[in-house]
Parts: sequence; structure tokens; C-alpha cells
Amino acid sequence: MADTATPSAPAAGKEPLLRVENLRKYFPIRQGFFGRSVTQVRAVDGVTFDVFPGETMAVVGESGCGKTTAGRCLVRAFEPTGGSILYRNRDGDEVALDALDNKSLKPVRRELRMIFQDPFSSLNPRMTVLDIIGDPLRVHNITSGSELEERVADMLLRVGLRPEYMRRYPHAFSGGQRQRIGIAKALILSPQLVVADEAVSALDVSVQAQILNLLQDLQAEFDLTYVFIAHDLSVVEYIADRVLVMYVGKMVEKAATDELYHNPKHPYTEALLSAVPRPDPRERSQRIVLEGDVPDPAHPPSGCYFHPRCRYAQDVCATETPALRPIGDGHEVACHLAEDLDLRGITDLVPRD
Amino acid sequence: MTATPHAATPSALPPVETPESQEDMRLLVAGQWQLMWWRFRKHKVAMVATAVSLLIYFVAVFAEFLAPLPRDHYAADYTFAPPQRIKLILEDEFGNREFHPHVLGYTVEIEAVALRRVFKPDPEQVIELGFFVDGLEEYRVLGIFPSRKHLFGPKDPTQPFYLFGADKLGQDLYSRLIFGTRISMTIGLVGVALSLIFGILLGGVSGLFGGTVDNIIQRTIEFFRAVPAIPLWMGLSAALPEDWDAIKRYFAITVILSILGWTGLARVVRGRFLSLREEDFVMSARLDGVAELGIILRYMLPSFLSHIIASVTLSIPGMILAETSLSFLGLGLRPPVVSWGVLLKDAQRVQVLATAPWLLIAAVPVIVSVLALNYVGDGLRDAADPYSR
Amino acid sequence: MSNSNHNAGADILLDIRGLKTYFHLDEGTVRAVDGVDFTVPRGTTIGIVGESGCGKSVTAFSILQLVEKPGRIEEGSIVLNTGGQNRVDIAALDHDSEELRQIRGKDIGMIFQEPMTSLSMMYTVGFQMTEAIRLHMDVEKDEARDRAIEMLQAVGIPRPEQRFDAYPFELSGGMRQRVMIAMALSCDPMLLIADEPTTALDVTTQAQILELMQQLQEEFGMAIMLITHDLGVVAEMCSEVVVMYLGEVVEQADVDTIFHNPQHPYTQALLQSIPRLGHSHEGRLNPIVGSVPDPYHRPSGCPFHPRCTQIITGRCETVHPEISRLDPRHTVRCLLHEDPHG
Ligand SMILES: Nc1ncnc2c1ncn2[C@@H]1O[C@H](COP(=O)(O)OP(=O)(O)OP(=O)(O)O)[C@@H](O)[C@H]1O
Ligand SMILES: Nc1ncnc2c1ncn2[C@@H]1O[C@H](COP(=O)(O)OP(=O)(O)OP(=O)(O)O)[C@@H](O)[C@H]1O
Ligand code: SF4
Ligand code: SF4
Ligand SMILES: [Mg+2]
Ligand SMILES: [Mg+2]
Repeated sequence: MADTATPSAPAAGKEPLLRVENLRKYFPIRQGFFGRSVTQVRAVDGVTFDVFPGETMAVVGESGCGKTTAGRCLVRAFEPTGGSILYRNRDGDEVALDALDNKSLKPVRRELRMIFQDPFSSLNPRMTVLDIIGDPLRVHNITSGSELEERVADMLLRVGLRPEYMRRYPHAFSGGQRQRIGIAKALILSPQLVVADEAVSALDVSVQAQILNLLQDLQAEFDLTYVFIAHDLSVVEYIADRVLVMYVGKMVEKAATDELYHNPKHPYTEALLSAVPRPDPRERSQRIVLEGDVPDPAHPPSGCYFHPRCRYAQDVCATETPALRPIGDGHEVACHLAEDLDLRGITDLVPRD
Repeated sequence: MTATPHAATPSALPPVETPESQEDMRLLVAGQWQLMWWRFRKHKVAMVATAVSLLIYFVAVFAEFLAPLPRDHYAADYTFAPPQRIKLILEDEFGNREFHPHVLGYTVEIEAVALRRVFKPDPEQVIELGFFVDGLEEYRVLGIFPSRKHLFGPKDPTQPFYLFGADKLGQDLYSRLIFGTRISMTIGLVGVALSLIFGILLGGVSGLFGGTVDNIIQRTIEFFRAVPAIPLWMGLSAALPEDWDAIKRYFAITVILSILGWTGLARVVRGRFLSLREEDFVMSARLDGVAELGIILRYMLPSFLSHIIASVTLSIPGMILAETSLSFLGLGLRPPVVSWGVLLKDAQRVQVLATAPWLLIAAVPVIVSVLALNYVGDGLRDAADPYSR
Repeated sequence: MSNSNHNAGADILLDIRGLKTYFHLDEGTVRAVDGVDFTVPRGTTIGIVGESGCGKSVTAFSILQLVEKPGRIEEGSIVLNTGGQNRVDIAALDHDSEELRQIRGKDIGMIFQEPMTSLSMMYTVGFQMTEAIRLHMDVEKDEARDRAIEMLQAVGIPRPEQRFDAYPFELSGGMRQRVMIAMALSCDPMLLIADEPTTALDVTTQAQILELMQQLQEEFGMAIMLITHDLGVVAEMCSEVVVMYLGEVVEQADVDTIFHNPQHPYTQALLQSIPRLGHSHEGRLNPIVGSVPDPYHRPSGCPFHPRCTQIITGRCETVHPEISRLDPRHTVRCLLHEDPHG
């Protein structure tokens, strides 16, 4: 199982499962007595990507860059402001998720599931594990009664919990066990696509590894496709086939994992990679320390959003917004100087002394 | 595609072990009410207060049985008769002491200077007391079973027995306090029930729909809360038609009290709805395809029911106090209805208080019940969210 | 406890021995810190690592006697050597003695895991800093102000004169962390205790703060006790590492030994379980089975035995291992390394 755990990059010619084009989500900022809308937070501002069946597409970036918002738009927990999301359902038909009303969304909800970050707030503390995991089956009129219990018991086994646990309430479980319950709930409907928002961020290091392995095993077992949202680049390198980097609501780079980590083309990606602390004192990296903070998405800088912190910035960067463009090998980047820069990937970071 | 899980295939994953003892098992499968009870139980003061509150409501239900005299029994001869002391031991002429609970009757003297009647205990008149004695009139327990029995009282019901003294009509204050319990305690309950209905409806609408509806309701609530309570109640109850009978007046007063009462509950309900809407588990239910009504009934309601119960308990004392104040001012309930406030109204005038200070005893049950219910409410509030640490 | 000959050469700033801090709750006693020994040499960075709930924060709080009720230091000594023969056992000091107050903030500065415990949202940054400075240093208001602004400058806050009058909620997370460091360092302490100083921050901001701490250490020469669960941060920052599990120190060594020659099964397992940048092709992760037991159910014998792959069946379940010293700077608490001489 270990060998098949990481599916190889998508075979050419395969139809994408999800096609996201220019996805946007703006939140109004309201002020004053009558709650007039004053400005907007462009939480997600033009994100485009495809997800192929069986792959893991990771979305990374720093706090507030719009990862969660993007993920929630994909499962239509949020109404996108603009752009299109085309999803190929089990029957092979492409449906426009962004245009569906609540009723026509229901069948799609079976195939499109979400794993939440916080294992404590995402499970209803007042329901037993059986009800929590089994509820989707009931809602979609799939089974009920003892057959439902059987399905839940089986699912519990698959996520590494004992079936006897199903009469218990969530407070009886540790964080890692709760996350397993959350995963079971997401998978009970046999979905095609699972959006995992920071699914391991809240867990202890030793438990994180258990859940990551579990996610990979289940992916192989059930032919799952993941959109894996995370901020931890070491975790992403381990689990993802392709990676999309976001900065202040915009996509700055997208590439296959190896390519991105060894050959980043965007200065922000370079800085991110260099900043990851290595668990090896012999590999003490030369981190690139960025000046200043991540800008407020309600008041982003002009031109390239990264230019106030970019050490390669030129005059053009402050005035013109770089478009996302392909530079070969499925590698896309939004930087004016992408071809001219010689950036360091993880292998080029020279040990300090 | 082999995506559907089948029960037969065993998983390669080892079950995660958690060592646990038998006694923990109870905790693991405990639902929210169980957990809340365990937490509430630890709150000693609240437990005592609960016992006291239950006792008070018990008194309200079985008033006829517990009161030695009927509610409206009066005896002009005993106007402002002072409280009698219960004596347990009776000593006969030979000096034999025997256990015989009794009180002493009165002799009346006219005080020369003030021309007031003065009551003195008369050692000659021994009024024997007993348990489960027959009373003057027949009554119905719970309005159904006819009975003449009283918990205790004089063995001869025609003899005077004034444990807490008498008022200006010679009515027994002790019995009337017991009957007052019924009105005062239920007016709190009915008032809160009305507030609850308004509060849940309007607060729920406000929290669920948001937007303009929410704005209107919120502004209305703010308006009501900005109006000072006592003048509003006074104005409204003063406007009640004089010729309404006791029952009508009773219900009108509860409505008046809940006009302000609902605003607090509506805020609680709205706040809970708004915060729950953002909870991950509610979003997760929505993504499961649970319909909106199901989310409200199965996910949101159970999460804040306990908070509502706590808030409701905490608002009963306010209602009791409000009724007492209104009746005390003569604007609430009126005789022949008996409530603690009505009884306190008798103690309003200084002259009366000088002759019959025992009429102030009517304030004691108000204080006790308000404190008790407050402590119960505090305990409930602390136990309402058993999942927080 | 074992003798201190091995420390003869090194200049020890803080010497913690047999520290036990328990919380007495209705549900039972939580042995949050249960026999912790380690030393902090002057001017170095020592890392305290371990999973959530293993007692890192409580250890830090104990050092300053800041453990709150129902918690209590039960046993042990915390000897601070402020120079020469000037030794004081913090654990023996009275709860709110003047001496203790002088140590807090003056000799030992602390950055808390919860920023709210040390920064009040109600007062300006400047007010809080000058108050702290004037509490410990005999200076006038103006001097304190200058010192505060100088510190804000030192931690890389742009326009420090203006930020002096800002409220903490007006600052970003990274800025707030800098202010906390500035506050902790404003009285020039000999030891800075930093409890998860970067856990809530983004990697790029984390990089800024770590860089800052290294710079400040070079400049001011204080020792740093860095508490974290991130092994990456430890490897980058520390020269010595203390690994904790369920309130005990299971291994202590220099950083290279911990990462390249760990001896305790828990340290080994922890290192194997984390994904490493650039090593993703080395197959599956190797997690530790199970999870940290909850504090009311401490396993008997070696507390790690239910999760240990090298368990000596029949012994580890009952015998609580003592500390063995493998070499002068390497100690381990495991029956596999039992000291043959007892
Ligand atoms: N409901 C909302 N209303 C207004 N603004 C919002 C809302 N949700 C998110 N935002 C804003 O949108 C931006 C993106 O937020 P989002 O939660 O998607 O970030 P993220 O990348 O998931 O960050 P994190 O790593 O902290 O989870 C933030 O600036 C946030 O303040
Ligand atoms: N105030 C308290 N009351 C009761 N128990 C406490 C208290 N503070 C800490 N504990 C317990 O002490 C143990 C150690 O806690 P501590 O905060 O030191 O862990 P930690 O290693 O800092 O974890 P984290 O990485 O989550 O910060 C835990 O089991 C915790 O439940
Ligand atoms: S466009 Fe300019 S500022 Fe933006 S990342 Fe590229 S070089 Fe830097
Ligand atoms: S003492 Fe035994 S159980 Fe504990 S770590 Fe060592 S080998 Fe493992
Ligand atoms: Mg997020
Ligand atoms: Mg901590």
C-alpha cells in the first residue's frame, strides 16, 4: 500500500474533475448605523486551477491569504462573487457549481465533501459519533437503521477507530481521534473530491503523521481527489502532487510539487521555502527574512502585491500587476521577472557554516 | 470505481488503543443533560436553592392543605391579633409535664389612654394543636379531590390560631402567605412563559434572517429597554379598567410584566443563533445537505436550550419582584386576590406598622424565593455549557 | 539527585532539580511537571520540546513562581546564579516577596504563549513598557520612555516613537510579538523564557522573529529558554535541547546529539514522525501509535510504555526509569539505558 499511496501526477489526456476559473470572493466591509457597505475585502481575487482525478492539489499561503475562503467557495459553503467552478460529476456531466441553487446542489454535496481544521468545533458535541457520521446517509436517504450502523462501524474501522466507539460523544476523544471522526463523516458518502482545510494543523506532531498516512491510504483505497489547504510546507511537500501558492487573495505560482520546491519561480515562494525551519541542526538554512507584514487585503499595495517586500522588485513592479502566465512544464507564475531571476529552491539553500 | 465501502473488507489500519477504566465509560457515553447535571450537582449553593425553590412551589400547589385556615376566613374580633407562640409542653395543675403542642388564646383589654384594644395571651385558654386536623371548610386537593384535612392547626377549628398574627380583618397572615405563594410564584412562571414565547419567536427571527428584519427588531428591543420599567408598568396597569375581575387582572398583569421581559430573552436567543451560525459543525451539517429547518431543530436548538432554561430561571425573580412592587403600590393585583405584594400593601401605613409590625413578615418569602431562584439560575448558567473547560 | 561535577566547567545560570508542580482538581491530581531536572548555561539557547500538555508552559511558569491555583510547586529547587556567589533558590522564595518581584522581569524576562497574559489591550504599548521598566530600574519617566523607544527600535519596529502610543490591538501579530520581546528585554534580563513565541505566526513572520532573537542574543548576551513543539525551530535556534513527555524530562543533550544520535525511544519516534522538507521521497511517515494519554490516566511504570516500540515487556509497565547519564552532556530516562551502578 505504501507504494501506491502517492498517486503520480495526472496522466495527460485525463479530463479534469474540477475546473476553477478566475474565482473571486469579495467580502463587503460594513460600517455605520445602517450597515452601509463601504469597501470590500478581496479575500480571493482571481484564482484559476484544474484538479485532476486522483491527485492532491495543495493550496498554500500565509494567514489571511484566502485559502479557507477559496476552499469554502469550492464546496459552495460560500457564494462566489465571480468566476466559474465546473465540476465533473460521477455520471461524467460537467455542472457549474457556482450557478446551482440549493436544491440542485444536494446531489453534488454527496460527491464533494470537506474536512475541517478544528477537530473540536467541527463535531456537534451533543450528538453521538453514530449520529455525527451517519447523519449524511440519513439526509440523503441512503440507508437507515441497522444498515446505517453497519456502514458507520465499517467506516470507523477504516479510519482506525473501534466500532464500539460509536455510542460515545465527541468529548470522549482526543484531538487526533476527533479528526478521524471528521474524516469518516466526510467519506461516508463515498465522495469523489474532498476539500481538506488545514486538516492536520491543529494536531500534535506525532498524531499529524498518523492522519497524513491515513489520508493517503484512504485516497488510494477510495480513489479520492484532494484539495489540500495548508500553511505547513513540509506537510504539503509530503502529500501534494501539485501546489498553488497564494498571496493576499491572488495566485502567485502553481507547479508540480517537486518543481515548485526545487525550482521556484516566484520570489515569494522562494522566501516561504527558505523560512521553513528544518528539523536538523546540520541543515540550518539561510532564511530569507522578508521585511514588513502581509498587507491588509482590504488595502493591498499597487502593482505586484508583493513588491513592498520583494528584494528583486523593479520600478515596473509598483505600477503593473503581473499576470499569471505559463512558463512551461505546467509551471505558472505571476512575476514580471520570472525568467530572469535565479531563485533558490530547497536543495540550494546553503548550510550556514 | 470501488468507492463504496463494504462491511466485509477488514482494514489494514490498526484500531487506535485508548486505555480506559470501567468508571470512565459512563463519562464517555454521557449526553449533554447528564454532563450538565454532574456539573450542576457540584454547585452546592445551587443545589440547596433548588430544594428551597421546589419547596416553595410545593407550598403553592398544596396551599389549601398547608394553610390552617381558608383563604378568606376573617374574624373581626381578632383584628390585629399578635402572633401566638407555639408551646410544646403542657403543665397541668399537678405539675405533670406532658408533650402537648398548644397555643394560648387571647384576653382583650382596652388601653385607657389610646383606646386601643390590646391582646394578651391567656394562660387559661389552651388551644390544642394537632397534625392532620379537620378544618372549617371542605376544599379540593389539586382542584379534584375533596378534603377537610390540614397539615396542622387547632383541633377545634373555631378557636383562634394566629401563628404570624392577624391583619385588620382578623385574617390569619400565615394562611394568607401560603395562599399568596400560589399567586406570586405562578405569576412569575406565566409571565416568563409569555416572555419566552415572544423572546424565542422574535429573537429567532432576528437571528436567523438578519438584515432589515433584524434591524427593526433590534431597534424595537432597544426602545423597550430604554423605557424605565417601573413607570411603564405603573402607567399600563393604571390604565386597566377598574371593573375587571381578579382573573382578568391577573392575566393582564402578566402580560404587562412580559412586555419588558421578552426583550432580554430575545437578545439571548438572537445572540445564540448568530454565534451558532458561524460554528463549524453547523456549516458541516449544511454541507451534509441538512435542510435549514433540520439545522435549527436538530443542531442549533439543542445547543442553546440549556442556556435558555438558565436565562428563564434567572428572569423569574424579576417578575416576582415586579408583581410585588406593583401590588404594593396598589396598581397590580387587588384583594380578594392574595399575593405577597397585596399582603405587603397592608403594611404600608406607619400607624398600622406600629400596631401590627408582624405584617412585614410578608417580605420574607419574597426575599427567600428571589434569592433561591437566583442561585438556581446561576447554577444552571454555569452548567449550561458542559463542554467548556 | 546526581552530583554536579559534570557542570564544573560550565557557567550555570539556572539549575533546576527535582521540580514537581501539581494541579489539585476535583477530578484528581494533574502531575503537570513531575520531576524535571535541567540546567541553563549562561548565554546559550536551550530548547524545551514536547507535545501539547507535556508540561512545558507549567515548567516555565514554575520558574517564575507564576503557577496559578489550584497548581502548586510541590518539590524541587530552582537555583538562579546571578553572578559570583550570588545564588538564590526561586522555589523557596515567598509568593509575593520583593525579591521574587525583582527576579521576574529584571533577571528573567518572559514571553508568554498567550499574548493576552502579558499585554493589556487597555493601555498603550508605551505605558505598559515604561511601567515595567520603572518597576525594576531606578529611572525617571523620561529615561524610561527613552529606554522603551530604544527597545522598540531594537526589535525592529519601524517608527517606534509613534508605535509607543499605539494600543496592542492596533498592531499585527508579528508586531505584537516584537513588542512582547521588547518588553521582556527592556530590563536587560540574564534569561529570556520564550514560550512558543512563534507558534501563532506565519512562517515568514516566524523567520523575522527568530532572526531577531538571535541578533538580540548576540547583542545582549542573555540566555534563552525556548519552549516549542516545533522541532524545526529547535534545530535552527538551540544549542541544547530538553525533551519532555508527560511532565518528565526524557532526554537532554546538545542539539546535534538530539537530532543525530537520540537515545530515548520517544525522541527517536518523534523525529521519525515529522515530514521533512526535501525528504518526501523517503516513503511513508512513521507515526507514533496512539496519542498522549490524558493527564488523569498516567500510565504506570515508564509513562511512554503504551506507545513505545522498544518496550521491555514485563519491566517497562511497572518500573519507573531513573535518569542515566550517557556522557557528561547527555542524559536519558529509559530502562534501555539503565545505569548499571544504580
Ligand atoms: N466572513 C467574512 N467576512 C469578511 N471578511 C472575511 C470573512 N471571511 C474571511 N474574511 C477575510 O478574508 C481574508 C481571507 O481569509 P481566509 O480565512 O480565507 O484566509 P486563510 O488563508 O484561510 O487564513 P488562515 O491561514 O488564517 O486560515 C482575510 O483577510 C479575512 O479577514
Ligand atoms: N490551570 C490549570 N489547571 C489544571 N490543569 C492545568 C492547568 N494548567 C495546565 N494544566 C495541565 O498541566 C499539563 C501541562 O500543561 P502545559 O500547559 O504545561 O502544557 P504544554 O506543554 O505547555 O502544552 P502546549 O504545547 O499545549 O502549550 C496539562 O495536562 C494541563 O492540562
Ligand atoms: S513582479 Fe516584481 S515585485 Fe512582484 S514578485 Fe516579481 S519581482 Fe517581485
Ligand atoms: S523505559 Fe521502556 S517503555 Fe519507556 S521508553 Fe524506555 S524502552 Fe520504552
Ligand atoms: Mg484558513
Ligand atoms: Mg504551553
